[in-house]
Amino acid sequence: MPATSFQNALVGRAAGVQVTTSSGQAGATPAIRIRGVGSMNASNEPLYVIDGVPVVAGDQGNLSGSYIGSNNVMNTLNPADIETITILKDAAASSLYGSRAANGVVLITTKKGKQGKPSVHLASSIGFTPSWATDNYEAAGPQEQTNMLYRIFYDYRTSAGQTPEQANTYALGQLNTKFNKHGYKFATAGTTLNENVIITGMTDGLVNREGTYFNWDDAYFGTGIYQTNDLSVSGGDQNTTYYTSLNYTKDQNRIKINKFDRISGRANITQKVGKHTEFATNVAIARNGQSGFNDTRNTGANYFFQVRNLLWPFYWPTDYKTGLPWTARYGSLAQNNVYYNDRWDNESITKRFTINEAITLTILPELNLKSVFSFDNSAINDHLYYSAIHYNGAATNGVVNETSANISKLVSSNTANFAKQFDKHNVTVLAGFEAEKNKTSFQSATGTNLPSSALQTLSTAGAFTASGFDYGNAIVSVLSRVEYNYDQKYFASASYRRDGSSKLAPETRWGNFWSAAASWRISGEDFMKDLEAISNLRLRASYGVNGTLPTQNYGWRSLTNYTNKYNGNAGGFLSTNANPDLTWETNYTTNIALDFGLFNQRLTGSVEYFNRDSKNLLQDIPISGTTGFGSALGNVGEMNNRGVEVELGGDIINTANGIRWTASVNASFIKSKVTKLYGGRDIIWYDPTGGDARAQYMYREGQPTLSFYGYEWAGVDPANGANVWYVNNPTDAKAGDFLYNGRGATNSFNKANYKIIGDATPKVYGGLNTDVSYKGLTLAFNFIYKIGGNLYDGGFKDVEDDGYYWERIRAQEVWDNMWTPERKGGTLPLLRGGRLNRPHAVQHPPDAQRKLLPA
Amino acid sequence: MNKVKILLVCAVVIGFSSCSKFLDEKPTNQVDAGTSIKTPADAQIMINGIERSMTNGDYYGRNFIMYADAKGGDMVIPSQGRGNDGLYTFNHAPTTGSYSGYWSQIYFILLQVNNLLQNIEKLEAGGATGFATYKGQALTLRALMYFDLVRLYGKSYDDNKDAYGVPNVTTPLVSSAQPLRNTVAENYTQILSDLTTAAPLLVKTKTNGFINYFGNIALQARVYLYMKDHANALKYAEEVITTSPYVLYTNANWVDSWKTQFGTESIFELGIYPLEGDLGLTSLGAYLRKKGEGGSNVLGWYMASDYFLNRLKQDAADVRWGVMNDDETSTALAPRKGSLYKYNGSTALAGDGKTTPTAVNIKVIRLSEIYLIAAEAALPTDAGKAATYLNAIRKRSPNLPAATAGTITIDMILDERSKELFGEGHRFFDMMRLNKSITFNDEVIGLTVATRPKTIDRTFFKTILPISQTEINANPGLQEQQNPQYNQ
Repeated sequence: MPATSFQNALVGRAAGVQVTTSSGQAGATPAIRIRGVGSMNASNEPLYVIDGVPVVAGDQGNLSGSYIGSNNVMNTLNPADIETITILKDAAASSLYGSRAANGVVLITTKKGKQGKPSVHLASSIGFTPSWATDNYEAAGPQEQTNMLYRIFYDYRTSAGQTPEQANTYALGQLNTKFNKHGYKFATAGTTLNENVIITGMTDGLVNREGTYFNWDDAYFGTGIYQTNDLSVSGGDQNTTYYTSLNYTKDQNRIKINKFDRISGRANITQKVGKHTEFATNVAIARNGQSGFNDTRNTGANYFFQVRNLLWPFYWPTDYKTGLPWTARYGSLAQNNVYYNDRWDNESITKRFTINEAITLTILPELNLKSVFSFDNSAINDHLYYSAIHYNGAATNGVVNETSANISKLVSSNTANFAKQFDKHNVTVLAGFEAEKNKTSFQSATGTNLPSSALQTLSTAGAFTASGFDYGNAIVSVLSRVEYNYDQKYFASASYRRDGSSKLAPETRWGNFWSAAASWRISGEDFMKDLEAISNLRLRASYGVNGTLPTQNYGWRSLTNYTNKYNGNAGGFLSTNANPDLTWETNYTTNIALDFGLFNQRLTGSVEYFNRDSKNLLQDIPISGTTGFGSALGNVGEMNNRGVEVELGGDIINTANGIRWTASVNASFIKSKVTKLYGGRDIIWYDPTGGDARAQYMYREGQPTLSFYGYEWAGVDPANGANVWYVNNPTDAKAGDFLYNGRGATNSFNKANYKIIGDATPKVYGGLNTDVSYKGLTLAFNFIYKIGGNLYDGGFKDVEDDGYYWERIRAQEVWDNMWTPERKGGTLPLLRGGRLNRPHAVQHPPDAQRKLLPA
Repeated sequence: MNKVKILLVCAVVIGFSSCSKFLDEKPTNQVDAGTSIKTPADAQIMINGIERSMTNGDYYGRNFIMYADAKGGDMVIPSQGRGNDGLYTFNHAPTTGSYSGYWSQIYFILLQVNNLLQNIEKLEAGGATGFATYKGQALTLRALMYFDLVRLYGKSYDDNKDAYGVPNVTTPLVSSAQPLRNTVAENYTQILSDLTTAAPLLVKTKTNGFINYFGNIALQARVYLYMKDHANALKYAEEVITTSPYVLYTNANWVDSWKTQFGTESIFELGIYPLEGDLGLTSLGAYLRKKGEGGSNVLGWYMASDYFLNRLKQDAADVRWGVMNDDETSTALAPRKGSLYKYNGSTALAGDGKTTPTAVNIKVIRLSEIYLIAAEAALPTDAGKAATYLNAIRKRSPNLPAATAGTITIDMILDERSKELFGEGHRFFDMMRLNKSITFNDEVIGLTVATRPKTIDRTFFKTILPISQTEINANPGLQEQQNPQYNQ
């Protein structure tokens, strides 16, 4: 399956690993969660380790406030260079990576040369994405849209006491005012609420648009095309091996102006010098280019939401009277981006190089010293330009912004490894020291008052502003591990490490982490010899402690910032709400697993139980605004994640002539709850993702970690189509304006109380994969599923709007299911005009309804 | 090989020995707060930061000014859904439309002020000098911010000064602090205490963009007027009028005064520069412009009501027409000059001397207002004097007869305030403190507003804002102290 990033290729492949991409943008950063959630502040992302060295990952661009949503720096890694990906989930396995490993480790090994003749590999592949392969939020047709808007205006007048005639006149007047200018006019046969509005074309322009509507889907979306070309050469002899590759990938997103491309190269070389020394050098260089819109829910920039919610088919990119481009903002506040897309520009270029040098020195046959030094540097240059004609550049007569971020990571690791076998006893001991420094140099300059639309260059600007600064963090670790096995049947190991981080105050920055593990290879026992069907059977158990750091570099420091310039002079302000007591979030993980292989490993699988207790959870919690800040980062409580993971895979067909059909299935059953809150008080918090703080959650002792907290929507009152909320009075279940299903209820959400109304954690999730391959052709099918748990559907509230935003498109689902006097069983409320008390999202009925849908 | 071994050992040893330094990571653009205020120059930099924070869109940059104009009956929204309608429709509830930005932004700046004052206090206790003016400015700004907060969240002083005002925070708080509300009277006591402490510390010369002595006493005049302490209001207003370097604009230069920064009337004016506090398309200038003028994102958020226009129409030659321009409902047959261009420099978007027309300074206290305060404060005791002060401003409508001791009324003064201070953040507060009713010109757009009656007075509960639910969640003691009726 073609994928821009290897992360997307992980979708559904391993138990306990969830990959979600909330953005459809080319090059966006997927979120990867291994075994549920930790705290909300500390990153939940796993640690990425390439060829033994931790690397920079995640969204590293600086345009997120602007248009490009996210810039996934891992896209610099060419999936074709990857030899293996291993996901470490339990504490013992990940102990070597210590504090950064609490959310799991994704171990990536890149390809190496093999002894033998040079091998040249050339591959080219292409993939297509249909323009809009989903029926989510399908908009109602022009006729239904018009009828719904007519009803809203009509109701707006009749509910103010006017007659049907007056209401009809008013509603038609509104429709004509709004859409005459786009070439349409409206009439009705009668004057009831239920009229089918007759839509005809205006005849006073260059064109008569009667019966034709503009298709914004086609204007904004096209077929996505993904192309990738790989060339690699590898080989080697006794002393030297090499692997080199070159890749070019181009991804034209289904959003026409969103593009991604990558050129990357890699050289992995190992060289033995004498008998005792081996040098391994891995060098990777990549350049990514990315441009286009982000597609967060922000309707200002999100094409998907615009075509589903704001861009009426009555709107055209040209004026029907003159044929000239339509430049005014449409009544729904959408803009004509068919016109404006040529009047702005953006681009994010990432140049990354990674150098990884490892020296292994074999001092004694049993003892070697290994020194690894790695330098990982990404230079990201973001360019954003709006011409003076563009609506975002109009106020300043054009604006151009250039931002560069130089992100570097230095890792130095020195370990001594001892391995000895006596008789059937095998012992290995590792001890070492590791240091890591992360630094980002940030520079940004903005110029306004641009003289020429032909030049998008800073130096032409009439006014400038600039900023530049560095920030970073450092970690120092000492680490050790002992492993023992007897006859490759009984295994035991233990590890200990001590980490210090600059992200915490000197008093709290050191943490001690350890693990212990044992396993028994049952299939190695004599009594299993006769059971030929069982080719592998192993029981494993481990327990360990690891830690998580806050995402903030300086959360413990109270800092003064100077960006509040006033009248040309520096202006200072306290910028952080420091918490000097901040400390490690610690995770205590137990893991018990059974691995099995049957029929000579034709069928393999595992069943695994895990329990993860997290203490000193790091979380930004809301605090009183009278302190000057809205939230404070602290160690707030404890949570538990536990569950069972099942994996099963096998070869269904594997013939000598090259036909291979494999299939695998995995499932994770997970439970996540808050076990303790320091101070005992509930914490209300908001979905930190998406910049759209709409989903509201609650941490409460004993409740699921991802508990939605809001008003409970009871449904639509069959008598009048009004929204009904349960009051949920904590002391009197029947308190309210009336009883509904025997419970106190109200039509006014303001009279209701919040309660926990759902849990976002699925009961089970996983994937189903099957591949059929024959001589280089692969047909793959990849299916992911989630059962149970509630989903917060922030988008639906816009397309089911029940009257607040007049000139908005509504979904077909609204037309089909809204309550009307003729359809008293309608599940969505009656469309009303002038519904001015639009409630907060989580209180809005279909949100509540959606939220309680199984996802 | 031995060399390599030694090198490796060295690397380990060096690594350990320099550990604490290696882990001492600091940003290059921020300093430890504990070391940032040491000298008067440092204090100046903190004052700069405070003033810039005051031009934030949630405060003087836009929403605070809009609050009193949107709710005062002199403005109206041309359409729903363009933004900030909630102010006009009083669509406020603790969970939605609580406009908590006022609360969070003003308390954020109060933290900055309290931090500066605490540092100055420590330095002065150690014998340092040279901080007087900064202390005076910080105290005056603190008074201004509490005055603004108590007007947003508390009842009028003469309505019920024992009702809840806002938490009176005068020192930097720890994260876990959950201060409760003080009474309106207690807030006013704090405001006056800060102002009187600050006055003698301030310079009497013009300090463009910063508080000076006259900024302080002008604010005292305003505060006393709100407290109905007419004697003190008059005393301080007259001190400004007679002893300050500020002079009124003439009729000839009134319109162009909006094209200049720090004009002769500006007692306290906040500076805004391109790329520095300039809110661009979300600035007051863009908000009050006619729809579409200067970019398709300019939506025409607010325009003048018929009531205001009729008031200004009392004199077609009123100089204040010079900042009014056609609004979106204006047609050739029925012209309607309902769009206010004070914050664009001029109706031709001239700005006030900078490269962008939205980077226009915010005039917080002007001498015209002080004359009108003097008129109002003198009225109960000396109608002749009141008429003199009123006429200094009223003459901007050259065809209206001058007020006399016999003809002057509070409504004439109030009308003059409406005309002169339109769009400057006063109208609603004036109507509240004088216990007047406000009628909204909803029929301009055929609007039926479900969230407030067409006419309100200060008995309507939404004339003060609710404490936001977010604040109450974090500070549960405020649940009991929520403004009346918001909990039902």
